Amino acid sequence: MMTSNNPVAIRTHELSKRYRRVTALSEATITVPEGRISALIGPNGAGKTTLLRLLAGLARPTGGEVAVLGRHLSQEPAFLADIGFLAQEIPLYRRLSAEDHIAIGAHLNSRWDGAAVRRRLESLAIPLDQRVGTLSGGQRAQLALALTLAKRPRLLLLDEPVAALDPLARRQFLAHLAEAVADGGLTVVLSSHLVADLERTCDHLILLAASRVQLCGDIDALLAEHQVLTGPRKDTTAIERDHTLVQAVRTARQTTLLIRGNGPVIDPAFETSAVGLEELVLGYMGQRAGTGSAYLTTIGEVQ
Amino acid sequence: MTWVVWRNHRNQTYVAAAALAAFAVLLLVTGRQMASQYHSALTACAASHACSNLANTLTLGNPAVSLLVTLTVAVPCLMGVFWGGPLVARELETGTSQFAWMQSVPRRRWLTITVGWALVAAAAWGGAVSGLVTWWSSPVNALEHQNFQPSQFDIQGIVPVGYALFAVALGIAVGTLLRRTVPAMAITLVVFTFLRLVIGQDFRSHFLTAITEKFGFLTRQGHRPVVPTGSYWLVSKGLVGPHGLVPTSQPNGGGVSVGVRGLPSINLSNLPSACQPLVFRNPRGVFSCLTAHGYRGLFITYQPASRYWAFQGIETGVFVLIAAALIAVTAMVVLRRDA
Repeated sequence: MMTSNNPVAIRTHELSKRYRRVTALSEATITVPEGRISALIGPNGAGKTTLLRLLAGLARPTGGEVAVLGRHLSQEPAFLADIGFLAQEIPLYRRLSAEDHIAIGAHLNSRWDGAAVRRRLESLAIPLDQRVGTLSGGQRAQLALALTLAKRPRLLLLDEPVAALDPLARRQFLAHLAEAVADGGLTVVLSSHLVADLERTCDHLILLAASRVQLCGDIDALLAEHQVLTGPRKDTTAIERDHTLVQAVRTARQTTLLIRGNGPVIDPAFETSAVGLEELVLGYMGQRAGTGSAYLTTIGEVQ
Repeated sequence: MTWVVWRNHRNQTYVAAAALAAFAVLLLVTGRQMASQYHSALTACAASHACSNLANTLTLGNPAVSLLVTLTVAVPCLMGVFWGGPLVARELETGTSQFAWMQSVPRRRWLTITVGWALVAAAAWGGAVSGLVTWWSSPVNALEHQNFQPSQFDIQGIVPVGYALFAVALGIAVGTLLRRTVPAMAITLVVFTFLRLVIGQDFRSHFLTAITEKFGFLTRQGHRPVVPTGSYWLVSKGLVGPHGLVPTSQPNGGGVSVGVRGLPSINLSNLPSACQPLVFRNPRGVFSCLTAHGYRGLFITYQPASRYWAFQGIETGVFVLIAAALIAVTAMVVLRRDA
C-alpha cells in the first residue's frame, strides 16, 4: 500500500466489546494512517459509537488490542491531551455558559486555545455568556466542536458531529475540519449516516455492519479495487472464482454484480463500470443485512 | 481542577453558606439569652436552697428554636441527598463525564479532587452546625444531664461530622453505581436513615461494656450504694432475682420507687404477683415480700457520664470507616467501569 510508510494514528487488533449479552463490536482490526479524515460508516447499532468510545478510552475493551498514536491507551495527561472526543449527545454543562466551558478547558488542559473558540463562536454569532441550555441544538454542537478542537488534539474522534447542524453549517464545519487536517498533525475519525457529506471530506473509510468491520482503507484505493459488472442473467461462477463477490442483484433479464476485483474481468458479456462511495457502502450493507434492510440514510437529516 | 469543582458547585455553596450563617445568628442570639436565663435561675435557686429541683421547674429557651435545633439531626442526611447523590450521578446521567474525562486530567485526579472537596464541605458544614448546637445546648446539658439521649447525642459533639461524611460518601457511591440522580438521592435517604437508626439503637450501647451495679433492699442500714451521677446512660435496670437479673421491660419506664435516692424506679409488672398488691397498701412490705421470694436486691446497668467522648469517638469512627469503604467502592467503579 502507498501509505505503509506513514506513521499510524490508530491500530486495533481483533478489538471486541461485549455487554452482558450483546456484542457491540466483534474482532475489529483497523488501521488509520496519520493525517487521514476517516469516515466511520454503518447502520444504527453497527458499533460505531462503541468503536469511538473504545478508541477514546471511555469504554474498556473485552478483547483485543488497541494502540492510538503509537501508544496503548492511558490516563496520562500528555496522552489525554492528544485525544479529542465528542460524544453524539453533545455533553455540555447546561447551566454554564460557553465562557465557563472555555475557562474549564483552560484549567484542565495544558494546551488550550480558548481564543480560537471565541473567534469561532463570534463568527457564528453564538453568544458566549448565555447558559448553554438556552442555545439551540446546532449552536451547542458548534460550541462542543470548537471546544474539542481547542485542545489541539492529534487524534479527533467525532461521533455524529454534524447530525445537529443544518446543511450549510454542516458543509462549513467539514471544510473547517479539512483545513485543520491540512495544517498537519491531525487525524480525524468521524461517524455519520450521511455518505454524501463524508464523500466530499473524507479520504479514508471504516465500514461497520453487524458489529464487524466490513471495509477499512483509503477511499481511493477501495474504489479502485471494486467494480460493478452489468450483464445478462447467466451463470457467474467463473467470475466469483476469480474475484470476491460483494453483492449480486439478479432480475429476470439482468445481473448486477459488485465485486472486489482481482485484476480485470474478461467475460465480454459483462460491462464494467467504476463504483461510487455510496454504491460501495450500500453494497456491503446489503450483503450483510439483505438489500431490503440497508438502514443507511444517504441524503437529508438523520431521523 | 479545584476551580472547576468550584464553578460547578458554587451556587449550592452560596445557598448552604447563607443557610449556615442565618442558623449561626439565630443560635448565637438565643444561646446567649438561654445561658443568662440559666445563670439567673441558678443564682435565684441557690438563694432559696432549691436547686435540686431546678430541672423540673425551669424551661430553657424558646420551643421553636429548640425544635429547630432538634431538627439539625437531618442536616447530614440532607447533605448526602443533595450534595452526594448528584455529584457523580449527574455527570454520568447527562453525559458530561464524557466532556470532563476527555480533558487532559486523569480520571483518578478528577475523582480525588471532586470527591475530596465534597467531603471537606460535608465535614465543614456538619462540624459548624454541630459546634453551634453543642455550644447552644450547654445550659440544657448542665440542667438536664441528658447528653446520652439520642436527641442530644446525635446532634452534638463530633458525631454529626461522622454522619455528614458518611451521608455524602453514601450519596456519591450510590450515584456512581446507579448513574441516575433522583433514584440515587432517594436511596441515599433510605439507606442513611436505616443505618443511622440501626447503629444508634442496636449497636451504640455495646460500644463499651456497660457497668452493672447491684443494690440490696433497705439500704438505710449503713450500706451506701454507688449511684451514678451526671449525664450517665441507663441501659437497663431491674431486680436481682433468685435465678439472675430480671430486667424491666423498659429501662426508662416509671413504677415503684425502690427507696434509694437517685435510683430509678422499678416496673410493677416485674414484681412477683404475690408482692404486687403490697405496692399500694404497704410499700415498705414490698421489699420483705421480695426477699421472701428469693429476690436479693436491685441492679442498674449503665454507661457512666465519663464515657461520653469515648462514645462520640467510637460512633464517629464507625461512620468514617463506612464512608471510607464507600469512597473506595466509588473509586473502583469510576476507574474501572465505562464512562
